[in-house]
Amino acid sequence: MIQHHVKILNQLGLHARPAALIAQTAGNFACDIHLTKDGVSVDAKSIMGVMMLAAEHGSTLQLTAEGVDEKEAAAAIKTLFDNRFNEEF
Amino acid sequence: MLVLKGIAASPGVAIGPAILLPGENFALSRQYIAENEVAAEVKKFKVAMQNTLAELDGCEQKVLDTLGPEYARLMSTHKLILQDPAFHTAITNKIEHEQLSAQAAILFTLQELAASFHKIEDPFFKERRNDLFDVGKRLANNLTDHKDNFLFSVQKPSLLVAHNLYPSDTIGLKENKILGFCTDVGGKTSHTALLAQSLNIPAVVGLSTASKDVHAGDTLIIDGENGLLVINPDRYTLSNYRQIQRDLKKTEALLKTINHLPVITKDGHSVKLLVNFDPRTDTKENKHLITDGLGLLRTEFIFMGTPVPPSEDDQYNLYVSVAKRFDMRPVTIRLADLGADKMPDFPLDEFDQDENPFMGCRGIRLFLKNPELLRTQLRAIIRTACEVPAQLRIMIPMVSSVEEVRHVRRAFNEILADSAAQGKKPVNKVALGAMIEVPSAAIALDGMIGELDFVSIGTNDLIQYLIAVDRVNQEVAHMYDPCHPAVARTLNLIIQTAHKKAKEVSICGEIASDTKMLPLLLGLNIDALSVTPRMFLRVKNHIRNTNFEQCSDLAQAALLMGSSDEIRNLIEQNNEHENP
Repeated sequence: MIQHHVKILNQLGLHARPAALIAQTAGNFACDIHLTKDGVSVDAKSIMGVMMLAAEHGSTLQLTAEGVDEKEAAAAIKTLFDNRFNEEF
Repeated sequence: MLVLKGIAASPGVAIGPAILLPGENFALSRQYIAENEVAAEVKKFKVAMQNTLAELDGCEQKVLDTLGPEYARLMSTHKLILQDPAFHTAITNKIEHEQLSAQAAILFTLQELAASFHKIEDPFFKERRNDLFDVGKRLANNLTDHKDNFLFSVQKPSLLVAHNLYPSDTIGLKENKILGFCTDVGGKTSHTALLAQSLNIPAVVGLSTASKDVHAGDTLIIDGENGLLVINPDRYTLSNYRQIQRDLKKTEALLKTINHLPVITKDGHSVKLLVNFDPRTDTKENKHLITDGLGLLRTEFIFMGTPVPPSEDDQYNLYVSVAKRFDMRPVTIRLADLGADKMPDFPLDEFDQDENPFMGCRGIRLFLKNPELLRTQLRAIIRTACEVPAQLRIMIPMVSSVEEVRHVRRAFNEILADSAAQGKKPVNKVALGAMIEVPSAAIALDGMIGELDFVSIGTNDLIQYLIAVDRVNQEVAHMYDPCHPAVARTLNLIIQTAHKKAKEVSICGEIASDTKMLPLLLGLNIDALSVTPRMFLRVKNHIRNTNFEQCSDLAQAALLMGSSDEIRNLIEQNNEHENP
């Protein structure tokens, strides 16, 4: 199992577009991927789940990946966060 | 007979029997199933799921063609929602453990999800609730045996009445004998309105109670010219509207015959006739119009309804497609006139919502406080000019002083220089002009005309600011008056000042489409008019039947008059004389 802390750097937080990006990316991997915030854990492959975290700018989430391709999956999702979901602000 | 007032969304008059779009509410046929039916029910749901996915794939392209990329993106979000494991698992769980029917499972899952979306305060999230229901409705429709889209089964030409039309509902409209439609909700730029315009069928939206007041088979008149819905009209009203319908068709036919003729008055004075263009509502009919170019491309819409400002790439793609759409004829791009009633969803620097937003931080004022927004838009335009042989004109909105023009000119020159440093130069020179809509800019235009390549008069706001009336305020809206002496005199001042320096002046407000005002505008020696595509041929027809000498006399007389009444009388007498 791989665990990372990821911080939301983009100004607008996890709105629909980043949520779609996360769900799409997570969908490419076989392993289980979860995002946890304030004790609420959601499936990263679920666009609605990710959106419902309503995670705002500056908050920190726990990223967990478990399964055959956990390493690659965790790295791919972490990159999205680090790159602010390709948003300028 | 009952007449409902709504919003005219697409012009024309349609008369015919009503059909009501079913399935607005989920009518549960069966809530619970027996234990031995569970496996079959889960399978039914999975098949419906596959079919819905295939449908969404199928309509993505159609939506792209009719409604544009914005709604096509919506369809792919719908696919993501449909494939969402949370959605999936919740429904299967409900069928397997609670022994709910697939239909009920979908409905309850939707309600739960919608409720949790509702808790989120962000309006952007809340809006996604509608998407959920659109997806859910499709899915539920695919459960039943008659899978065919309801609209495909319509046999005789009818008028469609619905509470709301979802993008997915509207795909097969015309080929299915729908002559027009009306909805309870929606505004002038809602997707329903855009679709009706692109199909060229009349539509009225925002009727509040139409879907409740109309019964299937009622005779309806949809008056897309005036935004009215007439239910079960009396014989007099019906024959009246049939006559209007015939007249409209006759005029349309006549107007088509003048499309290829030049825009020139009877005595040989020519003016340029351009269109105000919105790529979201472009239609086949519009594409056939032979115009002198695009006089006003409003760009606010690319900044609205998005959580982040549009990127240079996004804007570049838009401008290239618009330039191509106009076969490289002049295209006037107005820098985004944000602020006032058009606030984007993304945060802006130094922005407090003003108490008096129309006199507050809008247009170029807002852009100068958010220089990155300005520079991105300028870069996208200049890049377009470097890549394609377009004739681009940049228009600055809400200019009130020469300093603002200089700021933009400086940024513009810097970006040109950066671009040149990379070996890229515009194929054709990019013009930089101002929209004159603030009285101070009109009065002190002589001070800034040297810095401008052209000016365009935004009469809607200019009149509003000249007379100090807010058109939205019911108490004073009637005072908004294009015939006010100050209007003719200010237009004259702008045109004279620009002509002294041999700069072109155009008008792009509603007044340009008002055929009554046309003689005055021509007489003041305007160089170009920019009108809505719908009015293009009507205005052209009027210009071709006008005598420029008479217009000049009329304008000179109007400039000497001291009251609106005098000017209005003059214009009306002239009209009677011209069209007895």
